[in-house]
Amino acid sequence: MSAALRLDGVGFSYGAVAALCDVSFDVAAGERVALLGRNGAGKTTLVRLVAGLLHPNAGTVWVGDWDTGGRAPEELARRVGSLFQHADQQLFARTVREDVSFGPRALGLPAHEVRRRTEEALEALALGGHATQHPYDLPPALRKLAALAGALALEPIVLVLDEPTAGLDRALRAQVADALREHAERGAALLVVTHDLAFAAETLDRGIVLDGGRLAYDEPLAALLTSAERLKPLGLVPPTVAALSVALDLPGRPVRERDAAHTLARVAGGGPGL
Amino acid sequence: MTPLALEEVTFWYPATETPALRDVALEVAAGEIVALVGKVGAGASTLLLVAADLAPRVTGGRLAGAVRRRARSGIVLPTPWTQLSGMAFTVWDEVAFGPANLGWPGHEIARHVDHALERLEIVSLAARDPVTLSGGELQRVIVAGLLAMDPDLMLLDEPTAELDPAGARSVWRLLRLLAGEGKAIVVATSELDAVPDVADQVVWLDDGAVRAIGTPQLLAEDAACDDGLGTTVARIWRAAGLAPPYPLTVADAVRRWP
Amino acid sequence: MRTLHPFTLLAVAAALPALAWILPAPGGGLATLLVALSLTLTPGASPGPAGTGISRSWRPGLVVFRTALFTAAPFWLFLLLLHDVRTTVAIGLRISTMVASFVWLAAVLAPDRLVEATVARGWSVTAAYLFAATLSAVPVLKARARRIVEAQRCRGLSPRGSVANRFRALRALALPLVLSALHEVDERTLALESRGLVSGARRTSLAPPPDRVVERVVRWGLLLLCLAALVRRLA
Repeated sequence: MSAALRLDGVGFSYGAVAALCDVSFDVAAGERVALLGRNGAGKTTLVRLVAGLLHPNAGTVWVGDWDTGGRAPEELARRVGSLFQHADQQLFARTVREDVSFGPRALGLPAHEVRRRTEEALEALALGGHATQHPYDLPPALRKLAALAGALALEPIVLVLDEPTAGLDRALRAQVADALREHAERGAALLVVTHDLAFAAETLDRGIVLDGGRLAYDEPLAALLTSAERLKPLGLVPPTVAALSVALDLPGRPVRERDAAHTLARVAGGGPGL
Repeated sequence: MTPLALEEVTFWYPATETPALRDVALEVAAGEIVALVGKVGAGASTLLLVAADLAPRVTGGRLAGAVRRRARSGIVLPTPWTQLSGMAFTVWDEVAFGPANLGWPGHEIARHVDHALERLEIVSLAARDPVTLSGGELQRVIVAGLLAMDPDLMLLDEPTAELDPAGARSVWRLLRLLAGEGKAIVVATSELDAVPDVADQVVWLDDGAVRAIGTPQLLAEDAACDDGLGTTVARIWRAAGLAPPYPLTVADAVRRWP
Repeated sequence: MRTLHPFTLLAVAAALPALAWILPAPGGGLATLLVALSLTLTPGASPGPAGTGISRSWRPGLVVFRTALFTAAPFWLFLLLLHDVRTTVAIGLRISTMVASFVWLAAVLAPDRLVEATVARGWSVTAAYLFAATLSAVPVLKARARRIVEAQRCRGLSPRGSVANRFRALRALALPLVLSALHEVDERTLALESRGLVSGARRTSLAPPPDRVVERVVRWGLLLLCLAALVRRLA
């Protein structure tokens, strides 16, 4: 099966400053990847390359069978959905529903298809109750969700998201996690830049770490999250569930709440006095 | 003398009929950290604005009840980029913006600014232009700007939202340190797992009203867990069907584990 | 040039247009325009305040000069449509002097230095703030506009195509810029208020720019020159 997203020896520099150097990896359809690294490690550059806002100096970024090199972002929007920081500033329509439908309409889809995608995206993020409100009548957290719904409504084969949970509370984070998992199940490849490791643990499977513009690790996220030594140089600390698994030496080192609860119940059921 | 006391405070934003706060009573002592928890829109941000004497004075609206403030207060709002002064072209000047407005002598300002930069670990950013900073760097600059004004009552709305986990940890440690020096601190946060190690008192807000006030142990109770406000460890313990009282933190869990 | 006291820069930028209108056309206007244009070519007139968006997009050299010419050009066109050649030249030179002086001032005046100067002089903080914030808002809005353009393109918005298309595109770019800026005004007000920016506050000047005697003399000299020219013209 061909990859939804493939980076092949990708390099990019801003003038004389190298931001990315010889980065290669594949993301398959339905795969859920966390992109981690310090400030300045090249994460944002990578996201912008995938969205077509930048073009690589070296190597190739493939989205499906498209070489992004010659394509403008508005053309790539047929295959790539993206969410950037300050996404709450991009809304402008009179209602949330109209704003979410902006992408599908811009792609020139027929009216019934626009309607279906819009409603599904609104429903996926539980925004149905706010659909007729003006975006700026909502708190910033919900505006951000509306912007994400706009990206989901493109029904892209690759979703690249930069800090999708910043400023969201736990309930909204869970909402985003559900929506992303659902889109991945329907075949979308996820590439998510985040320092919210609790969210990453619940939502994503694979961790790609950039360091100084180069690929440092590419491995199962759970392995990475339970390793305090490897997270520390990245300015990260194991999320609570991973820390609990390690501290209690839970078998299998679960990193998701539900898995940890199951394991804990099983282990405690066998043990005395709990 | 309590730096801040709210007595049966009800507050309406302009042109609204439903109050954003309802009958809120709260006392904050010097040296104490109070954490405000609740869902988005539960009233934590409004409570901070009221405590900072910005609502209704600047926001407009109507307030019933009494707010007693016996301290100079300062507030950090949730989005760092809207709090830049727009008048400073280096981080140093940005942090000095507040103290300069207070009319302090130059050497006093310099002392407080340098100290605040050190405490937020951003001395290396001093000469940078604030508009070129990342969200996390900016958030530290804004907190430093508050700290440099040396308020007795610090009010913080989601001060770690833009920080990476290591950065968030160092801010929480700093708040503990400041409380140790006698500052009164009220912080609204959705980072529930940090609360037990930081807060002395937890105020659970629900739909503008205080649902419960207590020690952080509150966040391990069934009611809080039901409302999505339990700490991760408490929620896991509960989901595993283990008996209450649930542990709050990983350290608690380790103590309870045979 | 940028080490000059902000008030001196302001005085020069005000005196040139004043003289352009006072002195007899077309010789006066031509002279002032030549002075203004040569100012735009001085090496000091390259960037705006260090580190802001202006400084990076404005390279030293001919850029300020070119900006002045391009900004002034449309005025000539309008004038030519409305007047005969003689009047066009007379007014055109004066307007071009105004434009060139302003473009030069914007390039050479660092808002932070102006604020410090006004505060040191005992002006109200809020007045100084209004001025500085207006100048410093430009690079911030530019950065935001760029972000919005990118975000909308990634949603499939094409800035090319038919007129209707372009109009739609403009709406999707301009509206969020205005809406988000307006929306932030409330929060900005709260933030400034809590950071002590209240009317009547006696702000400490952090680093008042040095004001040399020779600069004071120049400023008074410019004022006297304008007055003398005015008296002579009216007499």
